[in-house]
Amino acid sequence: MKRIWGVLGAMVLALASTAASAQEKLVVSIWGGNWKEGAGIIAKEFTKRTGMEVEFITGGTLDRLAKAKVAKDSPESDVVFTTSQVGFLYQADGLFEKLDKAKIANYAGLVSAADRGDYEVGVYSYVYSPVYRADLMPKDFKLTSWNDLWSPEVAGKLSLPDFDPSHIIIASAVLSGGTAANWEVGIPLLEKLKPGVKAFYQSDATSQDLLKTGETPVQVMLSINAYHLIQNGVPVTIAIPKEGAVVGIDVLGINAGTKKLDKAQEFINVALDPEIQRQLCNFHKCSPMHKDAKIDAELAKLPGIFTTPEQWSTQAIITPDEIRAKLLPTWKAWFTENMMQ
Amino acid sequence: MSKRPFLIPFLVPAILVAVIFLAALAEILQYSFREFIPGSLDVGGFTLDNFARIYRPVYFKAVVNTFVLSLATAFFTLILSYPIAFALVRTKVEWVRTLLILLSITPLFTGEIVRTYAWMLVLGTNGFLNTMLLDIGIISEPVTFMYTRAGVVIALVQFAMPVMIIILATAISHINTDYEKAAANLGARPWTVITRVVIPLTMPGIISGFIVIFAWTMSAFATPQLIGGGKVLMISNAIYLQGFSALNFPFAATLSVIALISAFASLALMKLIANRLERQTAIH
Repeated sequence: MKRIWGVLGAMVLALASTAASAQEKLVVSIWGGNWKEGAGIIAKEFTKRTGMEVEFITGGTLDRLAKAKVAKDSPESDVVFTTSQVGFLYQADGLFEKLDKAKIANYAGLVSAADRGDYEVGVYSYVYSPVYRADLMPKDFKLTSWNDLWSPEVAGKLSLPDFDPSHIIIASAVLSGGTAANWEVGIPLLEKLKPGVKAFYQSDATSQDLLKTGETPVQVMLSINAYHLIQNGVPVTIAIPKEGAVVGIDVLGINAGTKKLDKAQEFINVALDPEIQRQLCNFHKCSPMHKDAKIDAELAKLPGIFTTPEQWSTQAIITPDEIRAKLLPTWKAWFTENMMQ
Repeated sequence: MSKRPFLIPFLVPAILVAVIFLAALAEILQYSFREFIPGSLDVGGFTLDNFARIYRPVYFKAVVNTFVLSLATAFFTLILSYPIAFALVRTKVEWVRTLLILLSITPLFTGEIVRTYAWMLVLGTNGFLNTMLLDIGIISEPVTFMYTRAGVVIALVQFAMPVMIIILATAISHINTDYEKAAANLGARPWTVITRVVIPLTMPGIISGFIVIFAWTMSAFATPQLIGGGKVLMISNAIYLQGFSALNFPFAATLSVIALISAFASLALMKLIANRLERQTAIH
């Protein structure tokens, strides 16, 4: 009997210590893989400044949102890393705290693209753009416009994301003289593209696999993933079409109901620090959001890396988060029903 | 003294699981009748629109695909597994049995994702299969296996084979070999013994294996997702696209309800056919 009580006592102590350690940590919700690794740069500096450890919980963009929705008033995390349009869904459902921008000292030095409203802030940007394996394409093949995706050389070699078709839909709208808001103008173009699509990918991993194996030598791809492949020796060329590339922005928001509001704001402040921004962008090969971030000269030259106002105005297609968040289900439904079968 | 009070505590976990499962099903059912609000995770009022949408070609095709692919997977799994299960049970050589167990059962212990990724490497344009066929001159251009129904069925069959082998091996091991000897003594050739004695006697195992694999494949997700590459949609992939990509939970719930109904209807139909088949092939 004594032994049973002893075991029970030890279990209670273990549970209590686990709960106590969770109390002392800032919990950050993020994607896995190199996204988590990149956020480790922020976490390291945050811990150095505040003494508080950071714990990451990982998952996909939308399943983390679904979990946050279920948890609502008792959030599993304190800070959320997500995409700006999904951030809009968090705030529309009351899952984000309003940011106290006065407490985020680095907020003042941000480029305008970082301003995503009162509930989230852009940390870095990337582009979704056409990329290709020059070694598997005809000798003189080049991609200079989104229009080139409709060329005979690309037919049967293209892959697109199925989880978010917004990039090709926005590009088709732009090519047809419209914008994301009146995307329907691009439908005839999309329908013409359909026979040329070989596969649809479901995740960053399958996206990279399709290019790595040469299964689809042309892809509308996240630039960060393309740079990751290049770093691993895959000869990928990233094209920035003359119409511009579709910009994506990863944001930070604070979970509504967090008990560590001040620390969460400090985490965001650290993420926006020019030096941390430099390190983050060197790591991910992305564009910084702080004007004073001095990214490496070699990195600044790469396609899809925007460091000047001119680049932002001529090479970037930016869609308001609200439009993208509200239209994504419609786009998704249209895409599934008309492009994927 | 009644035995009932003694048994009741043992039923508690099962009842608890059943209650939770039914509550989740009830929640899915009520979601399927709710209106979707774009840009919000909240749902609107009562609607039947979600069910009307099912008739759009892509979703209807996903339901048909699911049925056809499940049927094809169960059939080919049975055809390929039976000889292995037979050899596994009847071989007298220990190392052959060990080898067969290793080759056929071990894949069960690797995850679905790992096996599917392996198949992607095998079936790809520059994959093992195409390279081999090109090298030995059987084909002059790579054959498209990926993103086709055939590719999905190949991977699903390999995934399902260990379970089918276990079921069939159990059925075969219960046959009294005297029946086979008697048939042989009466002049039946080996093939006749197998088709007229062994197969009819293992019909219950064949039927249960077929039904298990069919039901299992009805809910396949990762294999059609990765090998199908969005070109071969099964119902679970359509549910995922709606729920976790478009965040249209009401329509995802409607598709789930349809999937459940289709599964039950298919299994009922199969059971009916199986009963008739079992009666016809029974040895008197």
